[in-house]
Amino acid sequence: MVDIKAYIAGMGVVSPAGRGIKSLKSWMKQGGRRIRPLNLFAVPSENLLPVGEVSESFEVLEIPRAHQLAFAATQEAMAGSQAPPDAVIIGVTTGGILTTEMHLKNRVSDPEAFAYHAVGSVAEYIAGKYYCKGPVITVSNACSSGTAAIKIALEMLRSGQARRVLVGGVDSLCRLTYYGFKSLQLIDPEGARPLDQDRRGMSVGEAAAMILLVADKATPDNSIIEILGGGLSCDAYHPTSPHPNGEGALNAMRAAIRDAGISPSDIDYINLHGTGTLDNDLSEAKALKSLFGDNLPPLSSVKGAFGHSLGAAGAVEAVISAISISEGIIPANTGCQTPDQKLGLDPVLEPIEKKVRIVLSNSFGFGGNNAALVMGKYREKKPVPTKKKPTLTIEGSAIITGVGDIKKTLEHISAGKDCQGTSPLSEISKSLQPSVIRRLKRLPRMALALALAACKNANLQETPSSVFLGTGWGPLSETYDFLKKLYESDEKFTSPTDFIGSVHNAPAGQVAISLGANGPNITTTGGDYSFEQSLLTASILADKIDAAFLVIGADEFHETLSPLFDRSVKVDGIRSDGGGAICLKRSDVSCGPKICSVFFENTADNPNIIQTLIGKLGDSREIEKRFGTIMAGIPAAYRQEGERQLHEFLAVSDFHQPVIDYRRLTGEFASASAVATALAAEFIRNKKIPASLCDGDDYSLNGKGILIVGFGKLVTAIEITP
Amino acid sequence: MALYWIYLSKSMEQLLSELNFKIVETLNLVDVIPDDIDPDDHLIGGKLGLDSIDILELVMMIEKDYAVKIDSKELGAKVFSSIKSLAGYIYENSPGMH
Repeated sequence: MVDIKAYIAGMGVVSPAGRGIKSLKSWMKQGGRRIRPLNLFAVPSENLLPVGEVSESFEVLEIPRAHQLAFAATQEAMAGSQAPPDAVIIGVTTGGILTTEMHLKNRVSDPEAFAYHAVGSVAEYIAGKYYCKGPVITVSNACSSGTAAIKIALEMLRSGQARRVLVGGVDSLCRLTYYGFKSLQLIDPEGARPLDQDRRGMSVGEAAAMILLVADKATPDNSIIEILGGGLSCDAYHPTSPHPNGEGALNAMRAAIRDAGISPSDIDYINLHGTGTLDNDLSEAKALKSLFGDNLPPLSSVKGAFGHSLGAAGAVEAVISAISISEGIIPANTGCQTPDQKLGLDPVLEPIEKKVRIVLSNSFGFGGNNAALVMGKYREKKPVPTKKKPTLTIEGSAIITGVGDIKKTLEHISAGKDCQGTSPLSEISKSLQPSVIRRLKRLPRMALALALAACKNANLQETPSSVFLGTGWGPLSETYDFLKKLYESDEKFTSPTDFIGSVHNAPAGQVAISLGANGPNITTTGGDYSFEQSLLTASILADKIDAAFLVIGADEFHETLSPLFDRSVKVDGIRSDGGGAICLKRSDVSCGPKICSVFFENTADNPNIIQTLIGKLGDSREIEKRFGTIMAGIPAAYRQEGERQLHEFLAVSDFHQPVIDYRRLTGEFASASAVATALAAEFIRNKKIPASLCDGDDYSLNGKGILIVGFGKLVTAIEITP
Repeated sequence: MALYWIYLSKSMEQLLSELNFKIVETLNLVDVIPDDIDPDDHLIGGKLGLDSIDILELVMMIEKDYAVKIDSKELGAKVFSSIKSLAGYIYENSPGMH
């Protein structure tokens, strides 16, 4: 048994308090409100609202603001460190959209201008700058992204898959969130006043915080701060409103406390989510009262000082919690004059000096996503053994392609035809209740249809507990329609429905609501490898999930945005979209085809990547023995490089069985690999590959499995075995 | 101002019927026939099955089409209690109505 601890080896931050940990420390000691009228971009004067804006300027200008913020925070976090991180995990909700908004307004048509649009591009940029070869995961879980990212990093360290994870959160101010939250009437025109009796809402903010989290087996050094535990949950209640009694929040806090091996009475300070909206503060207060009764430790929200930096907030607050422990300071609940008696909380109104050993930090977000962290100076819990990677089995699968569902897709493939194209919205929606989907556009309908079909295919008697969804580009229709309406009305009108729908995790939230799935609900994004990120994240968290869970990958084609954002779509010129879903269980509770995410590396500065992959799979004999077919995913934008990688793989592994170049079947869209995975599961169940795919007769798999390899900018591998 | 002229001669009855149509269209209420909406029915939690997001969507529509702002939850709760109360509020406050 090895005791794995995850300690903070470096931290960096950029926030409305300034650049650097020092600025944050001095704010924590002195307090003060850093919310000011928006200056970053021009808005009509009647729309001018207070925000938490970063006032520093940055050196690197050719990248969007979110990337600049993240890079500045990473430079500080990595300052004392020579070795590259093994993995990068960042919580982000809007990525490079501030730049994209400007280009769309000016009708820029060069895809190069949108090269850093993707929400996942921030983590990719940071990974590239710091030579990270290993997994890059972007958690896009709305306002709980940063905290959820840290929990995933913690579990990755505990699993032994990484020793050093660079983790954090970032978001820059942008029109989408500025006008979006305004349209929801969630902005306090006076600036956020969390827990105050007169509070009227939040203030939008921006920030970045990065932490180098390192696994250690040695005796803890008392000066080092550890992430002791984390908890994730989903309300499965409403797209934006928190559960009125804070049930989901309570579950996340309970899970974090249990995971840390402590009890509520051990907690010395609670860093609240505390956005300042009526509903959030009320439901958080109810959850806290249920958990702590009348024995609440000192607590405060920093969002009245900095605003709500969305994807960054949880990471910034983890850094604040660490400083609180190391310096013995509890920051003030800025903005609150008279605490709301209805909440029954007694926030810290001025900074206080106090010994703090253990902190609970909360983050809750749209989609009913809740995350909580427990951090501490030294451990007072039983050692956590290195966890065993659970074996996962596929209970059911579902597909949407240009020709329809899994049945139609298989019919087309068996007849030697491809399944490129886009299914009509009516076809995608045919299994969905009209009243449920009246507000949903293309991507959430796909996600919902896939989830329901996968559960049906699995003949599931229970409610799946968790949903993991990977999407390369998120809800494009909603994002486009929101900005279109905004610009067409000279920034007067927007659609709150489109704003809510534009959030990357909205589709997964809809799935959770429809199914009542109240376990972890995680949306990942990273271009062509979004589904792989999702499966990897699910595998990392699976040992704590007892019921069935869903892993989904889906992307929609959008007339204007897809060719601008996705180079493969532009190169291919054919409109295709769709996705796949698999319903999984841990193998100790089931038997069925097994699935495992086995490889995830970046090609940059990684010349031996193909040999590394083969080494990971065993050797050529092992590969021949275990796999009957390889399904290769080569995005059109990386065709040449991808084919070279595939040929190298085939030559070095001496593999002579059929190879299916699956994007030729599915067409070009970011989550084509989700379709390939669901197809592979179907082939394994049928024990054969259709003749049309292997030049001759049906090809019997003879008890062998299928290896799904992604080539291009990254090389990934998923194995499915009987 | 041209748009507001249209409303000058509009009766309460016309406004109610127009609102029914706009609500169904704005909120994509696929299974509702505009003329079937009862002006006294509760908008939130009533037969239409609307929630807070729908109300905010209607707030935008009303500001855009009638130049009437409903910018707080307290006011919204009062105004959106039924279509009748909504129409009454628009009638009183729209610059084009009188």
